[in-house]
Amino acid sequence: MNVNLSDVRRSFGKNKAVDGVSLELGTGVFGVLGPNGAGKTSLLRMLATVLPPSSGEMSLLGRDPGASAARRDIRRRLGYLPQNLGYYGSFTVVEFVEYFALLKEMPSPAVPKAVAAAVERVDLGPKAKAKLRTLSGGMLRRVGIAQAIVNNPDLLLLDEPTAGLDPEQRVQFRSLMRTLGQGATVIVSTHLVEDVGAACSEVALMADGKVVFRGTPDELTARGQGHSVGDAPLERGYSAVLAEARP
Amino acid sequence: MVMDDDELIAALAAGDETALHELFTRHAPWLAARLRAALAVPDAEDVLQETFLAIWKGAGAYTPQGRPQAWIWVIARNQAALLLRRRGPDTAQLDEIPLPGLDPAETALIRAEIAAALAGPDGDLLRIMYVQDRSVAEVAAILGVPAGTVKSRAHRARRMLQATLRGTR
Amino acid sequence: MNFPSAPDQRGSSHDSPGDVDLGRVWTAVAAEVWRRSPGWAERAAARLLRSPGLARALVTTPSLLLPWLISTVAVFGIGALIRLGPGQPAVWLVAPAVAAIGIAFAYGPGIDPAWELSASCAVSDRIVLLTRAVAVFALNAVLGLLASAASGAVAALTFGWLLPMTAVSALALAVAVAARSAIVGAGAGVAAWVITVLATETVSGRLTVSVTSSNAYLPYLATAACCAAAAVYALRPQRGFQ
Repeated sequence: MNVNLSDVRRSFGKNKAVDGVSLELGTGVFGVLGPNGAGKTSLLRMLATVLPPSSGEMSLLGRDPGASAARRDIRRRLGYLPQNLGYYGSFTVVEFVEYFALLKEMPSPAVPKAVAAAVERVDLGPKAKAKLRTLSGGMLRRVGIAQAIVNNPDLLLLDEPTAGLDPEQRVQFRSLMRTLGQGATVIVSTHLVEDVGAACSEVALMADGKVVFRGTPDELTARGQGHSVGDAPLERGYSAVLAEARP
Repeated sequence: MVMDDDELIAALAAGDETALHELFTRHAPWLAARLRAALAVPDAEDVLQETFLAIWKGAGAYTPQGRPQAWIWVIARNQAALLLRRRGPDTAQLDEIPLPGLDPAETALIRAEIAAALAGPDGDLLRIMYVQDRSVAEVAAILGVPAGTVKSRAHRARRMLQATLRGTR
Repeated sequence: MNFPSAPDQRGSSHDSPGDVDLGRVWTAVAAEVWRRSPGWAERAAARLLRSPGLARALVTTPSLLLPWLISTVAVFGIGALIRLGPGQPAVWLVAPAVAAIGIAFAYGPGIDPAWELSASCAVSDRIVLLTRAVAVFALNAVLGLLASAASGAVAALTFGWLLPMTAVSALALAVAVAARSAIVGAGAGVAAWVITVLATETVSGRLTVSVTSSNAYLPYLATAACCAAAAVYALRPQRGFQ
């Protein structure tokens, strides 16, 4: 199992952002759905080792991120796209992706090819030498995805990856996720229900810091039968589960 | 606006690296096919890579003479020859009798070029005429076409062969 | 990626042989064409710091413009204040910690747009911050040296503050890299600074009385401890792992 969480909690003062989450994940694409404030971003930050849990046990890629040497090893095999990723406007696409490849301690000789492959994978080849400040929001998001995949991570965490992408790019993105999920654990956090349905083999729905549903997209759809809120079957399932979870 | 090959090479020489991708898209497939006639897959891929890097570095020295594909092929052929020479004669795919005046590496490539030029119906026609030593009338009967057609296709095939061989020197 | 076959007029009309991976070939070509060649300073830094990532962080420090401006203003401002100040050793002892806080703020989560991403990378965020401190002081020292010819005040600032702080932060970084711990490095830097200040003050005679009196040791130790704590706090990971 690449991800093993046992009763993980994270609080900010009195706010329980993550309130007892237990997960075991192997390879594949795993979706995390939920409304704003559900705890998705805090969960991903903990998985990215940016935030320590307040309590509970975590094992990532078979290591305990609480130990600094293990944390460094985990981070070398990790790819992360934060929800709010700022960019260094004076960097080019290639320079930005290369910078994070170096910070992830990829071996230097392997970096140029890895950067080229990542940039091509997100279809930004024609913009490889363009400065980031000249790119659109959707292109910048693709740059973010490129830096997340440059080191061929075993654990890939993407927080709202499709923000700003047009429908065609979202289709290509889902296809990329399915390919990456064949050899890695890919966790996609999003509020776009249809992205999850198309790319993910399994889905968790979070509300108020807890996981209130875990199963396949079809099982989530099934929960929505008879429920009226939502334009599509998966959305109805999503709404139905949330409605049940609320007191 | 679609640029022709000369314009793309000029753009590349001026520093527009996106032109290289367009050149690659246009020319890598047929280059790969030609190289595969003489080289194994890994070698063909290496030579393709070195060819386009050489195009990138040498774009400034290119002067348009109406045959950019020939310029590209000469670069590819030279890169292939370099690779085969580095490998040595044992690992090259060679016929036993080298062409006179050429080293074995060049020979393999020229054979590949001739094979490519002779692929297709016109090549078949030349083979029947010259290898099987048939007359125009016999070839016309075998192929089921008029004698005049045989003559004009043979003429065209000979010209193509000449052009191919000229391009190798 | 799809590479359509060349049309007939481009010589052979063959499609690409299916066994040649044109995508892989293009990636290898692109890797060379797009490759960035590090300058001599970056190559030297990569060898010294044993990390190409740290070296890149070092040389890109000034190109992150807003953090660079904020930290430069902080560094020059603090330097000017202590030169103009009452000249008490306590002020000198505290100054590096204040500068460290200023640089940590400038390159921290509020200002550095890619901070959260950097915090998830293998290269330690704290050591990156120490690296940036060295870059800030070193470059400002160079600027100060250039301007020193024109201004005595700038010369005093450069030789009395910028150059010593460049040395102290470089020492801190060197120790941090060797010990693989930013805290150990910061502690070494603070200790070096305290020793420098006390030695200078002693030599100049201003501290003669207080140094020979054992009553002065406790306040100075306490000040040094506060500086160390302030430096560690300034370099803390902002609610994260490090």
